[in-house]
Amino acid sequence: MTSLTTFYLSGIIGKEVFGADGDAIGVIRDLLISTAPSGQNDPNQQLVLGIKLKIKKETRLYSFSTFRVVKAREMINVTCSDLKELDNDEAANGLLLVENMLDKQIVDLNGRKLVRVNDVRLATLPTGTFAVAVDIGIEGLLRRLGIPNPLKRVLSFFRIKIPAKFILWDDVQAIDFSNLNIKLSKSYAKLHTLHPSDLADILEDLGKKSSTSVFSALDEEKAADVLEEMEMQTQIHIVESLPVNKAADVLEKMPADEVADILDEIEDDKAEMLLKEMDSESSQEVRDLLEYPDNSAGGLMTTDVLSFKSELTVDDVIKELRNKKPEPSELYALFVTEKNDELVGTFDLRDLVVAQPEKTVSQIMKTVPVFLYDYQKIDDIAETISKYNLLAVPVVDKDNLLQGMVVVDDVVEDLMNKRRTYKR
Amino acid sequence: MFRTKIRKTHFYKNLMIFLALLGPGIITGSVDNDAGGITTYSVAGAMYGYGMIWTLFPSLVVLLVVQEMNARMGIVTGKGLSDLIRENAGLKVTFFIFIGLLLSNIGNTTTEFAGVAGSMEIFGVSKYISVPVAAFLVWILVVKGTYQIAERIFLIFSASLLTYVVSAIMSKPQWGEIASAFIRPGIELNTQSITVVIALIGTTIAPWMQFYMQSSVIEKGLKMKNYKFTLIDIVVGCIITIVVAFFIMVACGSTLHPNGIVINEAKDAALALKPLAGNLASQVFAFGLFVASVFSATILPLATAFYICEAFGFEAGIDKSWDEAKEFYVLYTGILVISAGIIMIPDAPLIDISIWSQVLNGILLPIVLVSMIMLINNKKIMGNYTNKPFQNIIGWGAVGILVVLSVVLLIMPFLGR
Repeated sequence: MTSLTTFYLSGIIGKEVFGADGDAIGVIRDLLISTAPSGQNDPNQQLVLGIKLKIKKETRLYSFSTFRVVKAREMINVTCSDLKELDNDEAANGLLLVENMLDKQIVDLNGRKLVRVNDVRLATLPTGTFAVAVDIGIEGLLRRLGIPNPLKRVLSFFRIKIPAKFILWDDVQAIDFSNLNIKLSKSYAKLHTLHPSDLADILEDLGKKSSTSVFSALDEEKAADVLEEMEMQTQIHIVESLPVNKAADVLEKMPADEVADILDEIEDDKAEMLLKEMDSESSQEVRDLLEYPDNSAGGLMTTDVLSFKSELTVDDVIKELRNKKPEPSELYALFVTEKNDELVGTFDLRDLVVAQPEKTVSQIMKTVPVFLYDYQKIDDIAETISKYNLLAVPVVDKDNLLQGMVVVDDVVEDLMNKRRTYKR
Repeated sequence: MFRTKIRKTHFYKNLMIFLALLGPGIITGSVDNDAGGITTYSVAGAMYGYGMIWTLFPSLVVLLVVQEMNARMGIVTGKGLSDLIRENAGLKVTFFIFIGLLLSNIGNTTTEFAGVAGSMEIFGVSKYISVPVAAFLVWILVVKGTYQIAERIFLIFSASLLTYVVSAIMSKPQWGEIASAFIRPGIELNTQSITVVIALIGTTIAPWMQFYMQSSVIEKGLKMKNYKFTLIDIVVGCIITIVVAFFIMVACGSTLHPNGIVINEAKDAALALKPLAGNLASQVFAFGLFVASVFSATILPLATAFYICEAFGFEAGIDKSWDEAKEFYVLYTGILVISAGIIMIPDAPLIDISIWSQVLNGILLPIVLVSMIMLINNKKIMGNYTNKPFQNIIGWGAVGILVVLSVVLLIMPFLGR
């Protein structure tokens, strides 16, 4: 026997299995693959654990350990020395190739997109049989249709090559586990390597059921990042389909202005339930923001701002920043306020960096800042930002108390939405 | 719909607000009255007078049931019809359905270009100029990504089909005759009349509409809790389709049929508008036909390429580059080029092409319907929203009738009719 036999899933499904005595035992319906948590180089990962056989009228899962796939003169033969039924515990850790993979959408982790599985390539090694790669190319389609070779010959006559496209098993993540009783967070482990905005794009393209189950499997931090990057429609669908407590946990981790945008769009009752479930500090911020009309500075601003007293030294400020480790966008502009939050000046990272450590904030700040009122319309905010070359503009209420800031990212997004209105 | 990105935007400032309110049902209903529809209804009216009008009633019922099923599937699963077919019916079935869909949609797109050619000939423009120019404009429009605006503009212009309503009434139709033809539906058992019946059903309930409807529902992000609005939208859309079809047939039945005028080219059909537009009838007709043709010629190849790519897992969408979505662009461009090319053949029989591509629709329709009915009754997919018995009865009934008609059409020549 050769040490390596490779074959395709489509090549063995529907085939008869023969016993040691050469009698036909049953017909192959599916293969079960181990989805053991993708620990580094786990030897059992992607090992074929079980085989679904239809014997007479009954279809059952049997252990694959007694089966052997042999290729002889381009023909694939599957033989079996002993039938052992697979117990439920073992089956629960697996993934059925036909039922969960074939013809379904999976995530291509390198290409960061959804692809459709046309076939699966497997290999038999001395240590067992493994799923090696997923076929997503036209060649796989033709093989499934059962017309590869004659057509290939005709096409090669015209010098047309049918593209074969494979993705290695390590680089794919199956999505559809709906019929299996396994722990989802482990099953979707590979998705954590994706950037939140790529993951958001993928979730947008998935059906409703799958997007919810994949999203539920993410940890709260990641989930918040992903939710933030999604289109409004998907955000609403996700928030509405998650259990209230889980949704609230995720929303707490998101910036208040983004949460307000989402809650603005969903039903009032549901929004109220979510606000009640969230911790009081975050929900109060969101409530405040929800008061503002959509096209006002207050509606667009973020409340995550950093403000300092004017008598602090540059050194104090830098130390405090090191302590707090704020998000990048919070550093777009730094504010100087009086005791009651009244805005008196602004400064930025450059001002801090170039100043002597013992200088005070009042010495480096710009005293007549450009600012917006919270109820001010935002129609020309882009011009303001561009005219003064700002990354963020402070927003104050009528008493000149600092409420938040509008950052350039949100302005750009707002502009793009407006343009898209005309485009679509 | 062919960009994957959809953003909720501040629509509330301009004209778009009105257009944004148009639901998927109404849009699909309007797209349905394309060149193929206008031609088929005109020919049926000219040939059989009021004799074929009764077919519109069962068509309306089936259209309503089918569109509702599409909307429900879209809302519940959030997946396109081609996705669902591929995931549940397996590759072979999917492959044959989509080969059929590709062929019938090349036929439909060809029909749209036949409409362009016919209408522009009335204005004295040769088809060798109008068709390539129209095809190029459509291609640019879509690839440049502004087709959504175009869609809305065309939708407004497609109101020009309402001229048929006025013209039909002004032609003083024999309402009594229409009513009696309606109450006593009849069909002659010969190849020609069966062809016309299949074409009528095929153009009214075109298979590609089911895919289009389902994607529009997903794009709009509709939800089950607002379902009654969706239902209203569907009913209005279906009624628009059928009302326009009805009046085209009445107008042609009152003006062309009594005079024994057979439609051989577009300008013959224009006579149906004479009671309203007098000597301008040809121009008014040509304008309506041209708008409807370009409108559908924009949507059809794009939609077809998109659904095929969806089913086979190729990248698709006009926001992708040529390298990213090669299959998509090749399909899209190919459908346009082939369809426009067929019309460019000297002496191509434009009216026959239009009718026969609608027949192809009618033959493909039961196959699409069967897969839809199977999908929507699958509890794993639809949960509590599977079909009610009456929906299944109407669905299977339509499948049965269409299969019988198609089989009869096939064996007719052997019976010497």
